[in-house]
Amino acid sequence: MKKFATIALTLAMAATAACASATTVGICQLVQHEALDAATQGFKDALTEKMPDVKFDEQNAAGDAATCVTITSKFAADGVDLILANATAPLQAAVSATGDIPILGTSITDYATALGMKEWNGTTGINVSGTSDLAPLDGQAAMIQELFPDAKNVGLIYCSAEANSIYQITVIKGYLEEMGYTCTEFAFTDSNDVASVTQSAADASDVIYIPTDNTAAAYTETIANVVIPAKVPVVAGEEGICKGCGVATLTISYYDLGYKTGEMAYDILANGADVGTMEVASAPNFTKKYNAANVEALGLTIPADYVAIE
Amino acid sequence: MEIAKLFNALPSAVSQGVIWGIMAIGVYITYRILDVADLTVDGSIATGGAVAAVLIIGGCNVWVAMIAAFLVGMLAGLATGLFHTFMGIPAILAGILTQLSLYSINLRILGGKANMAVSVNNYPLIVSARNARAMSLSNPFIILAALAVAVIALLYWFFGTERGCSLRATGANANMARAQGINTNADKVLGLMLSNGLVSFSGALLAQYQGFVDVGMGRGAIVIGLAAVIIGEVAFSKIFHNFALKLLAVVIGAILYYIVIQVVLWLGLNTNDLKMLQALVVAMFLAVPYWKNRYFKKKGDANHG
Repeated sequence: MKKFATIALTLAMAATAACASATTVGICQLVQHEALDAATQGFKDALTEKMPDVKFDEQNAAGDAATCVTITSKFAADGVDLILANATAPLQAAVSATGDIPILGTSITDYATALGMKEWNGTTGINVSGTSDLAPLDGQAAMIQELFPDAKNVGLIYCSAEANSIYQITVIKGYLEEMGYTCTEFAFTDSNDVASVTQSAADASDVIYIPTDNTAAAYTETIANVVIPAKVPVVAGEEGICKGCGVATLTISYYDLGYKTGEMAYDILANGADVGTMEVASAPNFTKKYNAANVEALGLTIPADYVAIE
Repeated sequence: MEIAKLFNALPSAVSQGVIWGIMAIGVYITYRILDVADLTVDGSIATGGAVAAVLIIGGCNVWVAMIAAFLVGMLAGLATGLFHTFMGIPAILAGILTQLSLYSINLRILGGKANMAVSVNNYPLIVSARNARAMSLSNPFIILAALAVAVIALLYWFFGTERGCSLRATGANANMARAQGINTNADKVLGLMLSNGLVSFSGALLAQYQGFVDVGMGRGAIVIGLAAVIIGEVAFSKIFHNFALKLLAVVIGAILYYIVIQVVLWLGLNTNDLKMLQALVVAMFLAVPYWKNRYFKKKGDANHG
């Protein structure tokens, strides 16, 4: 009996010790969405591979920006070892919730804008680093030129509620106008006016560009139903949108982006790297891809170095 | 799942609850006192956040920025009020129209950006989630509680004045009030302005607390406001009869709402189900008084009811 008690006690102590030493990472994701889900998955895979005993507290704000601070405050109160902020609002909420716990962002387009920093030198200097999902906008502009050299009017479709899209539109507009295209912006508010805004864009444009826009990504079917019958090709900022309604894209993989963030997290948790001096990283590689069905429907020919989206 | 973790997270939930409590007082003014369902609030809370954030970033004093947010919120209420009284649009539609246009206006205020950071690292904010568990005067709960008490005191005074009484009379029975020579339209506009001013003011607090303003941050705000009003009434209607206490009940209702959310997060339930759980919480609070009436009343009472 005594022996049994000793064993039980030892086990209990071991269990407590294991609990205390286990590293916990809080994950706050803005909304359920293919690209963000992939980034979270990549992050978890990378970190689990290197630290098998790591625990994740995964929370999703279901699209409510105001819920993010509830979640990140919980992480701060729990005293997690690291916070992964997946998208802009979670990053800002995490910065508000804690000044000590290391925060890594992912799927963030521009850290200087997201954090309201006036000067930018690649690192934040505070408890924040992470990965940027900024697609190579110059490369995407070059892709429009490569595929549609004779087009004149480029329509830019995006959701006016998304800070990241507005940033991308401003930048790519500069590149396209330099190439001699005429650009017109077509901003929609939500699902209700996607179809009508897309219709007016299709009427006025030879080719349409859609940036990495979370809302557009959710309504690609609606967009496809307008642009395919109108025979207007769409070049997209990311693969998900291209798969739904586009013809071609120069894309990053959100899974790879998350994976890269996971490796940064390992550096911080296991090697004690200082998050404030860690450079914000970009996507490791870009791929030219095309949507075979839409290319065929529009009767286009695509150069041989493009990969078909599965 | 340790209970200590839940207690650790409660201070932040309570502070957030007080911010939404001030917003819910705004909802109480329209929904309960004026008897108007005003949906402007989904827009005006973001307006308040946007005005405050832009001014604070521009170097303005934080308190001035918050007062400006209150005043701009009143303008939003004025718009809804004029849609309703001057143009004869039903109140619920008038609110929706203003809410719609506020989306564009908020984007304009933010200079075309959908999201703007106003971090406690860079600006002297008066409330921030950062200090939610601090054992000092910088704890946001202290300022928030003081603000809530001040708002309640001011409203208690206001609704005791002649103007306030006529506003209440308008809500209670508009025809009777008009028969007494009260300009009910003016009172409705005033009530909507006051309500949206408060909502906008709480938006200014929320933007500071969470460290950013987002054009989408008011989505579903009316649901939280109504939930706070209803939870407060159900929990305290038996003991709180005084008007000031009723307003206090609304604030406590908002705190309870956020504690429930925190418990849901603490339980580790799938956050994909959070919206459904929020709806169920409100439904339960609505159902309890009804059930009490229907199934647990003494026989003699039931015959009369």
